[in-house]
Amino acid sequence: MLLTKGIIASQKRKIIMLIIALSISAFMTLLFFSIINVGNIFASNTAVIKIDILQLILMSLMQASLTTILSLSAGIAIAWALNRLEFFGKNLVVSLFATAIVAPAMVVAFGLISVWGRAGWIAQLLEFFGLSWNFSIFGLGGILFAHTILNGAFAAHILLARVDAIPARKLKSAQSLALTPFKRFILLDWAAISGALPALGSIIFLLAFTSFPIVLMLGGGVANQTLEVAIYSAVRLSFDLDLAVKLSVIQLVLCMIIIFPAIISNSNLANAGVNYSYKWQQKGLAQFTQIIILVLAVFAFALPLLAILIDGIAGGILDTLSRPSFWQASFTSISIGSLSAILTLILAVLIATGRAAFSNGILKAILGLPVFAYLVIPAVVLSLGFYLLSNKLDIATSTSAPFVLIIANSLLALPFAIAILAPAIETINYRYDKLSRSLNLSSLMRWRIVEWPLIGREIGIVLALAFCFSLGDLGIISLFGTNEFTTLPYAMYQSLGVYRSNDAAVIAAFMLILCLMVFWFLPVIFRKISNAKN
Amino acid sequence: MLRINNIEYSYEKEKQKYQYDFSLKAGETIVISGVSGVGKSTLLDIIAGFLTANSGEIILDKIKLANLAPEHRPISILFQDENLFEHLSVEKNLGLAFSKAIIDKEKIAIALKNVGLMGYEKRWAKNLSGGEKQRVALARTLLRNKPILLLDEPFSALDKKTAKDMRLLVKNLVKQYKWHTIVVSHNIEDAVELNAKNYIMKNGILKKT
Repeated sequence: MLLTKGIIASQKRKIIMLIIALSISAFMTLLFFSIINVGNIFASNTAVIKIDILQLILMSLMQASLTTILSLSAGIAIAWALNRLEFFGKNLVVSLFATAIVAPAMVVAFGLISVWGRAGWIAQLLEFFGLSWNFSIFGLGGILFAHTILNGAFAAHILLARVDAIPARKLKSAQSLALTPFKRFILLDWAAISGALPALGSIIFLLAFTSFPIVLMLGGGVANQTLEVAIYSAVRLSFDLDLAVKLSVIQLVLCMIIIFPAIISNSNLANAGVNYSYKWQQKGLAQFTQIIILVLAVFAFALPLLAILIDGIAGGILDTLSRPSFWQASFTSISIGSLSAILTLILAVLIATGRAAFSNGILKAILGLPVFAYLVIPAVVLSLGFYLLSNKLDIATSTSAPFVLIIANSLLALPFAIAILAPAIETINYRYDKLSRSLNLSSLMRWRIVEWPLIGREIGIVLALAFCFSLGDLGIISLFGTNEFTTLPYAMYQSLGVYRSNDAAVIAAFMLILCLMVFWFLPVIFRKISNAKN
Repeated sequence: MLRINNIEYSYEKEKQKYQYDFSLKAGETIVISGVSGVGKSTLLDIIAGFLTANSGEIILDKIKLANLAPEHRPISILFQDENLFEHLSVEKNLGLAFSKAIIDKEKIAIALKNVGLMGYEKRWAKNLSGGEKQRVALARTLLRNKPILLLDEPFSALDKKTAKDMRLLVKNLVKQYKWHTIVVSHNIEDAVELNAKNYIMKNGILKKT
């Protein structure tokens, strides 16, 4: 009897999950049709647009390909160095690279200009020694540099987890066989990381392909424009919705093609656990190379962040903080970030729980559809969909803007949230599902005594990630922002547009500090709260 | 003669001290038993150089091993698993025994024959059974032919018959190649079938039984 009740409760759960997943997918489809219904996308184009589109596609593809190659190379090198070297403050360096995923791209771009720009730190230093600085941070070089710093650090964090998980026995075997550093890398490290490369490469390619703030800020002109920026320009600057729609459809199709290898390769980025029990350091040239790599990586990644903080404090902080508009933008950003994070968590928990409950591959795949939503639908395209939907429903964009921002940012964070929660929830389900059902635990009770105590830390990470993504978003707000409705990234971009770089510096520093605090402390707080109840 | 002279070791943040003192001749085997976490594998890690003893000496025929890095010690080590690179063929796994890049195929064929796996060169390590994997690892030990063989629960993942066959194989190879062999095991049959001396680890001290 008890078991029957448990099974019925479980069936109800499954149905609810399926409805949610289908609702999200249907919502995406609705947005997609809102986009393609605006104009006849198959209508003949003028010769000028055709050439522009081709150039845009080529530029986007080339930039993303180069970014992927550079970022994966940098990520592998940094992971290799971090795995081998032991030093005071190593955990801090690892945490620093982990922040790459949440550091707002426009803030990092701003930091890069502060360091590498014509009037930046490096230029000033060289000038002090009577040397000139001819490097331009604007253009393809700047875009690649910024993307490699962010995505390389992200790749390093993912790959390090896999190299760190190489079993101690395997390491000891290899050491007793006296493998050279090169053979060790090929036989142990490459075997550990190669499985993650197709998925990681696809994600980095998509992030670069759909990159918006960095290309917008560092592109330096039309020649380096990508599809994403062109969509924004079409809507915001020339109000050419037909062109925006065409570009969005091309962007969507290309993104779907790009994500395909990641799906069929069946590679995953799940953390494989860490081998704390044994470390094998190899001295000589290998160790020297590792030190050089790590110093360069920390220098490249930390310096822009440091520049943001110093420029923010030095840039007339009191003047900016005394403006009501700054606090209004902060309030909007924090409110939307918080609500968006909560919505992301609710959706992610429901979908991940649903996926864990289903053994049927097709139903699991249906529930997994939202996982790829963000990766396939770029922020500006999603924003355009909402923008057109608002117009179609005769809702003023000023009215719909807060809701759009909450929902859109939540959807964009969903794949990352599910990637974090799903493995933990699947493990819990595997271990405790039968026991919970036999005890006839209600969904709420099961959540309270089984799931919550075991995934508290993951919940903290999901909330932190979703909050930071939302806080740093420029893609969604780019089409909805007005003088009356402003978020921090939008206010920062507006300040840069009118050459108030001091204001922009303060906002950038504020956003960076907020992101780092949330990203570092929220998971710890949630782990403690959930453990206290365990 | 391998001498383990008054070795002492304690893990950081642990009060327990482990003490080892014994010796064994070439061609001799000792089996160390004891409950889990009592410090049996710690000894193998110290001899192999993965851990550094607080005090004491390890001497093989007048050579002090403590001064040598793990990769330079005259030791072969076999674990319960993870002895092979699963994405490589048997031949490539065995080729790692040679310090030069050139693989001696003839020697590999002989080593495989000695462990009863003739013709296995081109097979993938991942497709082998547990017993076959251990035999391939043993073949690599033959090719390296180091005077000390350390076995950490080498038969515990094998079925009864395969484990028995492996014990017989190890016993014969140790006798033939005159290895100094130390086996860590939970299984009482290991000592009997390997014709080994029995030691037990209790309260942090290794004692002969």
